[in-house]
Amino acid sequence: MNILAGVYRPDNGELKIHGQPHQFRNPADALNAGIGMVHQEFRLIPSFSVAENVILGSAARVLRNKQVELEVSELAERFGLKVDPSQPLWQLSMGERQKVEILKILWRNAQVLILDEPTTVLTPSEVDELGEILTKMAEDGRSIIFISHKLHEVSGICDEATVLRQGKTVASALPIESTDQRELAQLMVGTSASTADRPEPNTPGGPLLELDRLSALGDRGLEAFSNLTFQVNAGEIVGIAGVAGNGQRELADVIAGLRPSTAGSLSMNGSDITEASPQFRFKSGLAYIPEDRLGVGLAPRLSITDNAILRVYRQQRRGPFILAEKALAYCKDIVQRFGVRSADLDGPIAALSGGNLQRLLVGRELDGQPSVIVASQPTRGLDVQGVKAIQELLIEQRNSGVAVIMISEDLDELLTIADRLLVMESGLIRGEFDPRTASRDEVGMAMLSDGQATTGI
Amino acid sequence: MRRPRLSLREQPLPGGQPLAFGTGLLIALIVGILLLLAAGHEPLKIYSRMFEASLGDPDAWAKTINRAIPLGLAGLAVAIAGSMGLWNIGAEGQIMAGAIAAAWVARIGGDWPGIILIAMMLIAAVGGGGVLALGPALARAKLGVNEIITTLMLNEVAIRLVQWLIHGPWKDPDSYNFPLAPMLPDQARLPTLFSRAHFGLLIAAAVIVIASVAVRYTAWGYELRIAGSSEATARYSGISLSKKILTVLVLSGAVAGLAGGVELSGTADRLTETISNGFGFAGIIVAALALMRPSGVAVVALLFGAVQIGGQSIQTLGVSSSVSTILQAFVLFGAIGAGVFSRYRVVLDADTRSSNKELSDD
Repeated sequence: MNILAGVYRPDNGELKIHGQPHQFRNPADALNAGIGMVHQEFRLIPSFSVAENVILGSAARVLRNKQVELEVSELAERFGLKVDPSQPLWQLSMGERQKVEILKILWRNAQVLILDEPTTVLTPSEVDELGEILTKMAEDGRSIIFISHKLHEVSGICDEATVLRQGKTVASALPIESTDQRELAQLMVGTSASTADRPEPNTPGGPLLELDRLSALGDRGLEAFSNLTFQVNAGEIVGIAGVAGNGQRELADVIAGLRPSTAGSLSMNGSDITEASPQFRFKSGLAYIPEDRLGVGLAPRLSITDNAILRVYRQQRRGPFILAEKALAYCKDIVQRFGVRSADLDGPIAALSGGNLQRLLVGRELDGQPSVIVASQPTRGLDVQGVKAIQELLIEQRNSGVAVIMISEDLDELLTIADRLLVMESGLIRGEFDPRTASRDEVGMAMLSDGQATTGI
Repeated sequence: MRRPRLSLREQPLPGGQPLAFGTGLLIALIVGILLLLAAGHEPLKIYSRMFEASLGDPDAWAKTINRAIPLGLAGLAVAIAGSMGLWNIGAEGQIMAGAIAAAWVARIGGDWPGIILIAMMLIAAVGGGGVLALGPALARAKLGVNEIITTLMLNEVAIRLVQWLIHGPWKDPDSYNFPLAPMLPDQARLPTLFSRAHFGLLIAAAVIVIASVAVRYTAWGYELRIAGSSEATARYSGISLSKKILTVLVLSGAVAGLAGGVELSGTADRLTETISNGFGFAGIIVAALALMRPSGVAVVALLFGAVQIGGQSIQTLGVSSSVSTILQAFVLFGAIGAGVFSRYRVVLDADTRSSNKELSDD
């Protein structure tokens, strides 16, 4: 989408508008060709008024504020976008700011509008409103590309759907009217190239991690998940399935202690850790494999050794110093045991490939002999070997009595290696399945909204 | 259309930074030749004068070293904060705060033995710089207030404080009404090592070595580097960010304060308005050229000191002081520009379809 909007340049292939090939060098080129984009992170200036933001980049040399405000409000009215053009932007809610972004593109008279996950910042009633606005613009003859993880929105708003997975088109231009939501859901979660073999069933022990009516907010202050109650027992892998963006990432962060919960409680090994620090949780046996490996789990500018000792450097001190030989020996051990291929242990970690990064991170986390592992999308973006290696490591841990939560978008992966499967949608658990007997269809159905808790679109 | 574009190298060029500094110097010298010719001077004569005045004999070395001492300490102050991704733009003010604190100790302890007096002055200087950095540090650590702005603004406060002191309460009654603080007592002066190079050299060297070792080899420095590389990772591993920010910024201020104390006791006779002489701002440049690594600060400070002393010396040949400032600016431009090329390569657009790691990569 960034290529369409002129932010990135394509490596290959061409883009045609009305049959003419186009090459965009920057977003202005794209806008001139009639393509505008509403990014997930808004590109607006808080201290400017609504009208000033709308004309940003296309302003005439002399600004006549009153007239611009009048024109902006006419444009807004035409499409039912209710905003006051003279109000400073910082006073607006996220939903209103999004309208300003849309107005900005309409002002340039774009014929193609790209909206990147526009509903993640909106309250349910604002989502309804956005649907109406988009419908109005479509009736006006404009094309709209609506990017979303949420199926009910796609089927409520769109005419056709194209499914992308890992950079490839899985299905294109499916007419929504005649397409089953279940079918769409399956296309989205997809099948993986290869997975580890299904582990031998074993008898899980007592609960190691217990969630009791746990709730938390997302990055934008809206509820990410609420009232989650479940437990993970020793020696089992609990899979959390669902389309991304339904509260899974926030759930993992809350369990790891990186995001505060707003209600409910969390306990590990029988003791309450709802308020405990991430460090305390780790010491009590919680390992966390975050979704954003380089951003949350690793320090990209530091060396492989520095990254390897992140969990143990406190034990490798003499006085204030970190013992270099001990650190290096530890790093070598992790690298060998977990098959990290790297030439230079003092080189920056960013030089490692995705698979090797993940082996190092997982190895480091597992080395602490955890009793609970939270793995968020641990195999995403890895090659076939990497996927299998990580899965086998997790199974090995489960066999030795560790409680594992595995969050994944890859349904087949979960159906193979999980002992129990929970489906998350809109921040709620929509169903629990036994992966040995559940069918993809059943699970896929649960990934859809049941229509009660969310919007009426 | 083939357009030149910067593309990230997989590995930075080995030895990139010294090379960059050398290139910067070379570019500055070449530009300088043109500049001097245009102003009607003989470039070779001017350059040899610059070299002699800064590095030609022990006396010249002493001048350069005395200049490099405050530059190095100020650069270290900025680099300590920079290793954690923080910007201390207030070293200038913290130097003055340090000098004020040291001058105050010299006022009350005029009859103490020299070694005790100097030690107390330097301790007070450390405290003075640290106290001035405390406000911005607290605001950043507890409230997330941008430290660039707060430290920058406190520079103004510090210079006004110096002005008030030397125009008012600390004005020397024997100064014939000039705004001057009284001369320091003799035993408050740092001893000299050779020529006029003062003992501050050893102090600065020791502090730079300690800080480099601390950042590179201690758990404290490790946490600092983790936090500077990724805040989320620091939180994830249980490092308290706000505590770290607080200590690092205060420490940065304390080191700058020490620079003020050393400068007062080593080269200045008394507290003056120009006690800092722009060292705090030059320190930012020194730290940037050292890539925010405390270990790189010493060499950069020496070179920078030589350029400054050399630049001053040619004023006696009738070259305007702005020429030397322009030369310094070109050293910086050249070094930073060359630094970019050690990390990026220039490619032509049309034939690079595969390597698309551009600057705009986010």
